[in-house]
Amino acid sequence: MFKRGFLVTFTLTLLFALLVSACAAPAAPPAAPAQESGAGEAAQPAAEEAAATDFKVGLVTDVGRINDRSFNQSAWEGVQQAAETLGLPEENVKFIETQDSKDYADNIQQFVEAGFNVIVTVGFALGAATRTAATENPDVFFIGVDQFQVPGEEIPNLVGLIFEEDKAGFLAGALAGHLTKTGTIAAVLGTDLVPPVVAFKEGYEAGARYVKPDITIISTYHPGEISQAFVDPEWGAATAKQAMDQGADVIFGAGGITGNGALQEVAAAAEAGKEVYCIGVDTDQWYTVPAARPCLVSSAMKLITPSVADLIQLAHDGNWPGGGNYVGPVALAPFHDFEDKIPQEVKDDLARIREGLDDGSISTGYGQ
Amino acid sequence: MSRKRVWKTSSIVSMVLAVGLVVMAILVNTTSLSQQTWLRVLFGVSALNFALRATVPLVLGALSGILCERSGIINIGIEGMMLAGAFAGFVVKVATNSWPLGMSLMAGVLAAVLIGGVMGLLHATLSIRYRMDQIISGTIIIILAAGFTAYLFDRDAVAEGKFVAMPIPGLSKIPVLGEVLFNNPPLTYLALILVVVLHVALFHTRWGLRTRACGEHPRAADTVGINVNRYRYMNTTLGGMMAGLAGGFLVLEAVGQFQEGMTAGRGFISLAAMIFGNWMPFGALGASALFGYTQALQNELLLAGVVNVPRHFISMLPYVVTIVAVSGFVGRVRPPAAEGKVYETESSA
Amino acid sequence: MNGDASPIVRLMRALLIPVLALIMALLLGAVIMLVFGDDPVKAYRGLLYGAFGSGRGWATTVRKMAPFILTGLSVATAFKAGLFNIGAAGQFLMGTIFSVFVGINFQGLPVFIHLPLALLAGLLGGMLWGAIPGLLKVTTGAHEVITTIMLNYVASLFAGWTVYAGGSQGQTPGPLWDPTAGPISETPDVLPSAQLPWIFGPPYRVHWGIVLVLAVVVLIWWLLYRTTIGFEIRTVGQNLKASKYAGIRVNWTIVLTMILAGGLAGLAGGIETLGVNHKFAPEFSGSVGFDGITIALLGQTHPFGVVLAALLFGALDAGGAKMQFDSGVAADIIQVIQALILAFVAAPAIVRSIFRLKRTPEQVKPTVSTSWSGPG
Repeated sequence: MFKRGFLVTFTLTLLFALLVSACAAPAAPPAAPAQESGAGEAAQPAAEEAAATDFKVGLVTDVGRINDRSFNQSAWEGVQQAAETLGLPEENVKFIETQDSKDYADNIQQFVEAGFNVIVTVGFALGAATRTAATENPDVFFIGVDQFQVPGEEIPNLVGLIFEEDKAGFLAGALAGHLTKTGTIAAVLGTDLVPPVVAFKEGYEAGARYVKPDITIISTYHPGEISQAFVDPEWGAATAKQAMDQGADVIFGAGGITGNGALQEVAAAAEAGKEVYCIGVDTDQWYTVPAARPCLVSSAMKLITPSVADLIQLAHDGNWPGGGNYVGPVALAPFHDFEDKIPQEVKDDLARIREGLDDGSISTGYGQ
Repeated sequence: MSRKRVWKTSSIVSMVLAVGLVVMAILVNTTSLSQQTWLRVLFGVSALNFALRATVPLVLGALSGILCERSGIINIGIEGMMLAGAFAGFVVKVATNSWPLGMSLMAGVLAAVLIGGVMGLLHATLSIRYRMDQIISGTIIIILAAGFTAYLFDRDAVAEGKFVAMPIPGLSKIPVLGEVLFNNPPLTYLALILVVVLHVALFHTRWGLRTRACGEHPRAADTVGINVNRYRYMNTTLGGMMAGLAGGFLVLEAVGQFQEGMTAGRGFISLAAMIFGNWMPFGALGASALFGYTQALQNELLLAGVVNVPRHFISMLPYVVTIVAVSGFVGRVRPPAAEGKVYETESSA
Repeated sequence: MNGDASPIVRLMRALLIPVLALIMALLLGAVIMLVFGDDPVKAYRGLLYGAFGSGRGWATTVRKMAPFILTGLSVATAFKAGLFNIGAAGQFLMGTIFSVFVGINFQGLPVFIHLPLALLAGLLGGMLWGAIPGLLKVTTGAHEVITTIMLNYVASLFAGWTVYAGGSQGQTPGPLWDPTAGPISETPDVLPSAQLPWIFGPPYRVHWGIVLVLAVVVLIWWLLYRTTIGFEIRTVGQNLKASKYAGIRVNWTIVLTMILAGGLAGLAGGIETLGVNHKFAPEFSGSVGFDGITIALLGQTHPFGVVLAALLFGALDAGGAKMQFDSGVAADIIQVIQALILAFVAAPAIVRSIFRLKRTPEQVKPTVSTSWSGPG
């Protein structure tokens, strides 16, 4: 009996070993990726665009997914947009989803070794790993989304793509201040360990107080670590309910999937007949969280996608802006279904505030 | 028996506490006492609502544990069964988005319960048919569920809509109590009803008697003609269904979306609730409510900002309470005697 | 023990189930990938090439293997005494925190004092965190499965607090936080005198900790199979009642085993911090502790088996990025494969019935389900 088991194992192990060596062998000459068998779609664009094809763009996500309906996805859409404009073939544009924050450096290294020209790293948490990689590889361009570069410590081939979240938050807060009937509004937030979230919150509160000085604001940060703070929709939903129980009728959900949970909870209450509104964050969440539509008046947007696309274009054309920070635009998303329900005076006031923020006559008070 | 007396005393104490809570809640929410931040944190409607909402998945998980363990199978895999149920509920909800909302949600609940049952059956098969250690089998259920749901989760899928509150006519108009107890989405009511159902079934039906016999003294049960392993298969499957329902609650009622690892340790806390509740449905409800309440308190304290303790220590509350509860009570409560042991019939042994 | 079997035959027997389980898990994983429209050949090729196809691949595999060995050993040692240590993750974290504390303080100590001190601190942190469930078990009867899981959460929150940056509302920062890190919650780098030196420097980043880990493996093997304490641990695990009659101090052995298991996981945290990360940030926790369960079972709870299993896990981890890069298959498939390995290896009966093997008499089978109350 034992003999037979041994034989089975032996044969299978042998087969497996053969498979292994067969697979490992063609990987040895990495210089010829076009010969790889499975690259069916690679065949056709090779002829037309010979010059552009050696330009490669890679993206490393924060712990999370490429299609997270949040900043990873926005950044990736920016990469794809740039790839389309530049006519890059599909195998020159790749991403790696980070499983564990210890792997940031390894994942970036993967792209460096494969000779990628531009590497986009998404998220505040990748800041340190990106700086190290940029120093070690001066001929590769790095774009660090949400990674503020301290003045005086710039690295020429690394640009931090940052946004003035406090301004977007200020507009959202002003909208909330105009909409509330109870005089209480709330914010359900990711973590205060991440500066952009804090900026959103401070701007939101300042904006609400700007239009309604005596307003009550309930703001809560997720109590967990960075690894949970953006991926806990249950906490977001329960906290939104809690805020509504305490009288809040406009709720700003700012914290990735956690915030989305808050939006959906408010939407369910709105659907049940309660007069409550919600405001999304980062992208126009009308499209990313359709379930929130019953309450979603607007979103405080960071236009990550066009900014990433622009920066890649600049790198490709040889117009790299140099080290330091690149400030991307922010805006309030369209009102969609609520277009008619928002009074014209409110719209006018928001436009006036927007102008004031832009020319500096209105200050959010954040970071001063 | 002194054990019995301890249990009786703790029942009385918890009754007194519950009545006190109700009185305080009504007072605080209807009078000017609500100006006191501390009292609002402890007894406000928002705290009580949060507590109930946090209790539901825990009590369903604990009922799952009771079903399995009363028949003699340790179920540490509740966490995995919940997660699998949540995922199945989500997938079916997404697939039936075009149906009327109510039907689509019901389909989701059914799928969650069904897949939970399948996971329960798997656990029973591994531990009975393949004689795997039950704790290891439970661990496998957890790891399998985590791996598969993460790999299969299509992040572009969107579930449209979730269960909304269904106020019970009349009762929901009672001040405070009505707002907390009788103005909830349907699965919350279902969970509370299931506590009563399981209590009656366990202690007042033949099925319950036989189930308990399998967990306490399988040899004797076998001699009087009960098919021990059949009962264990059946109960573990039912237990899986209960855990699946808890997952369904998370996706279809609490959140409206699936998220990897969204059970976040609830399966483990419900195990503790089961032990703390002395393997009794009402005990489990009480223990789950206590854990739910500590979670609510944690969030209320954060919201109100009244204590100057780092939030990390406030967040430890539910886990420390669990450790204390399990250490303080496990010596005084008694698990089913034959739990965790493979039963072999006379002929096969 | 089967006296007349030669060592080679015995080795083959011990390897039989794990190897079959691995093969079946890989095959089933391939089927799953096919069903869901992924290319398993590309994925496995990327995995292999990523883990073993280059110098850096090998280096990454070996670097990732070190903590897996120790957490696997931690769980395996507890299994020997019939204890299920799900708490390796928390013990790992406490070890990390203790090591970092010593590592960032005591400026000016020479390497040969500072480094061992920091490593010992890691060991001590893990031991403390392992002692708690051990003591609770023998004094109150609380099952270690529940207490260790809860202690994992507590450890994670505690570790988070120690490096807490204070947030926006001016809360007090944690004691180990690096004030120069701005709003980021992390510790300063450990002083060079407490860092494990490189065998191969960047970009390979292989440190001497791996040699230390292998020495620990031999030490644990010696302890378990060649000393009285090891004999007592194994006896308690095999037959609680008999060991009581034989006069073994069961409670003491249980506490000791948990301390030992905790210490191993804590040392893993220390080595990982002093060798690779050089600092601690809350998002470093990872799954090393939970993976220890699978590694221990795959390694048949034998120290040398654990090393082989850890090598496999290190390779799976190291090859993941390359696999995604080459094939576009989400790295989650690795978790699926790990779960399948665990399922097959823990249920040898399934493997046997598929391959129609007879039961071998000496199969290692950890038994831990002794119900929730009491040590027996």
